[in-house]
Amino acid sequence: MTVREKAPAPTVPPRTAHRSVLARRQATAGRIFVAPNLLAVAVFMLFPLGFSLYMAFHKWDMFTPAKFVGWANFHRLFTGDPLFAIALRNTVAFTIGTMVPTVVISLIVAATLNRKIKGIGVFRTVLFLPLAVSTVVMAVVWRFVFDTNNGLLNIMLGWFGIGQVPWLVDPKWAMVSLCLVSIWKSVPFATVILLAAMQGVPEDLYEAAKIDGAGAIRRFFSITVPLIRSALSFVVVISIINSFQAFDQAYVLTGGHGGPQSATYVFGIMLFQNAFAFGDVGYASALAWVMFAILLVVTVMQLRFSRRNSLEQ
Amino acid sequence: MADTQYPSHPGLERHHSRPFGRRRLLRGAGVLGAALVTATLSGCDRTDDALTFFFQANPEEAAVRMRVVDEFQRRHPGIKVRTVRSGGDPMQQIFTFCAGGKCPDVLMVWELTYAGLADRGVLLDLNTILAQDPTYAAELKSDSVPALYDTFEFKGGQYAFPEQWSGNFLFFNKKLFDDANLRPPGRWEDAWSFAEFLESAKALTKRDASGTVTQWGFVDTWVRYYSAGLFAMNNGASWSSPWNNPGRMNFDDDAFIEGVQFYADLANKYQVAPTAADQQSMSTTDLFARGQAAMAMGGHWRYSTFSEAGGLDFDVTALPVGPKGNGSWSDVGTTGLAIAAGSPRKQEACEFVKFVTGPVGQAVIAESRLFVPTLTSAVNSAGFAKAHTRVQNLDVLTRGPARSRHLPVTPAWERVDALMDRNFGPVLRGVQSATSFKTDLAADVDKLLRKQ
Repeated sequence: MTVREKAPAPTVPPRTAHRSVLARRQATAGRIFVAPNLLAVAVFMLFPLGFSLYMAFHKWDMFTPAKFVGWANFHRLFTGDPLFAIALRNTVAFTIGTMVPTVVISLIVAATLNRKIKGIGVFRTVLFLPLAVSTVVMAVVWRFVFDTNNGLLNIMLGWFGIGQVPWLVDPKWAMVSLCLVSIWKSVPFATVILLAAMQGVPEDLYEAAKIDGAGAIRRFFSITVPLIRSALSFVVVISIINSFQAFDQAYVLTGGHGGPQSATYVFGIMLFQNAFAFGDVGYASALAWVMFAILLVVTVMQLRFSRRNSLEQ
Repeated sequence: MADTQYPSHPGLERHHSRPFGRRRLLRGAGVLGAALVTATLSGCDRTDDALTFFFQANPEEAAVRMRVVDEFQRRHPGIKVRTVRSGGDPMQQIFTFCAGGKCPDVLMVWELTYAGLADRGVLLDLNTILAQDPTYAAELKSDSVPALYDTFEFKGGQYAFPEQWSGNFLFFNKKLFDDANLRPPGRWEDAWSFAEFLESAKALTKRDASGTVTQWGFVDTWVRYYSAGLFAMNNGASWSSPWNNPGRMNFDDDAFIEGVQFYADLANKYQVAPTAADQQSMSTTDLFARGQAAMAMGGHWRYSTFSEAGGLDFDVTALPVGPKGNGSWSDVGTTGLAIAAGSPRKQEACEFVKFVTGPVGQAVIAESRLFVPTLTSAVNSAGFAKAHTRVQNLDVLTRGPARSRHLPVTPAWERVDALMDRNFGPVLRGVQSATSFKTDLAADVDKLLRKQ
């Protein structure tokens, strides 16, 4: 393109000149097509990002003019707010409690669905359904399921002689309930990613392993898992990010205060509460950037770890 | 591709013969998109000069409010009013509207949360209106219930005029009480004690052979930790010192702790009220409406629901008094009307607020059966009595506003509320004693208030 543009005009054959005009017109059309999206990214992503960073260093209650406070919001987070430690602990527990079962269950489900049997398409579709349901709708339905006295889950547990579990009433069980809902929601997406990766594993490797006498479990751990490592790594990173940012399911399931007794008070709830209930936007912005920093560190560490592992392999 | 293969040569009939070419489609889509964006943006910029009135109401209440609005517009044809109904959380909505520069001119505000708006300068100090119209000011003051009127006074300013009383009392099922040969008090002055109330609740709680409760003695239709605080108030404790812009809360006060503990014991120890787990699957309002609960704590906002419940014959009574209490009291639950400080239509807003909180608007409210008006003349009017013919103990409603004690008015209420929710939870579930307030809740709230 550049060479063509630099070439003296009279020496350009008519056909090339025509192409150049076409290419320019196509490039212009491309820019026009991309412009609305770019504008949306700038207005709805870049500007809020920059603004929240700016706000993180200010005290702003949405009405009076913002006042620059330097690092005070961050200082308050780490030294003056006992709820930050509670939210951090809960978020880490929620992340581990969601991410580990999600990956394990997704691996099992993907391996099960990675078979050429009749009607597998139906199973795959059914499995994908939770992803199509709105989180709020799903959480409302789960509230009924978790009802202590008449909930479906306790009724079913009752069939096996297990007494009533106070799912959403007791602080310890509330976190378990939240994790269960998130696992239910996360498994389909993770399964689809892992299933796609599994379908890319060459069949002849399995056949060779079979000839060598490797059983199904051995084949899974020695062939499937190493060969879908990058997809697995992606699922882990996405699960961590999603869990760290969890808000809607906690808000609907256990309320805007992260109850009972702050048992489900995760970062998402803390951020929302400070911004929209307390009107402390600067502080909430500082929390958002701390969350971003934690996620960035975790993700980079995870990627480095998986890259080193793959090199060692 | 069509355009690339067949550039616009005049003789190229193929391009022109297409009924709907790609380029034409794209151009059309572009024009349509631009038109939509323009229409949306112009729709956002409402430049009609209507007065905006923000309120929260269920459909029935909204109809009453519209009656008041219509009457206002009939009497003030020059002022057009556009109503804005709140969604689930009105405070969040007000924050969003006002921070976005679209603050409604007139806002419905609540006694517990308005101070947060006043402190941020969102609300107009209505003393400016009162100063302009001393006759109206004198009439309003003399006809208002002081406890309700003063609630909206914060840091020397008057930020709203009360519009309806929404304090709490007890609804009771007359048939169930008659069957048990019990009679609750008919006036605030004749209130029963905690012990008498408990005995009645025990007598009215019925179980089947398996021990499952078929009829509860008492259910709570309000916010449980607020209700517990109201029982504490009836045990002689005030929530905070002072009630307006307090420096400390009295959560560690012995009378407060005792009152809260009594309330928690109703469900956990005496089992005359549903526990937190029970309430997951049942609506306490429905329990009373269906005749499965003998008493229900709530405010007048439940009146129409209970009135329309088939076969329910109910009346109202006063809250019980604890051993340390001095009389039965309701809480100053009240909503008021405020004017946005940045409103460009202050004069019109002022006329509207004066109308709704004045004799005419209050008379419409009194006759609506949906609200308890705040002007003494309206609450004692024939219209109010006519709208409540089912109630024998009308004194509980008409004297309710005067028998109300203040809840704390502080700009930090949302934070206090979050702490209360956290710390009342284990007490109300029965896993912790209310004495725990002395070591955790009281210290945390006082620290919070000191920072304000």
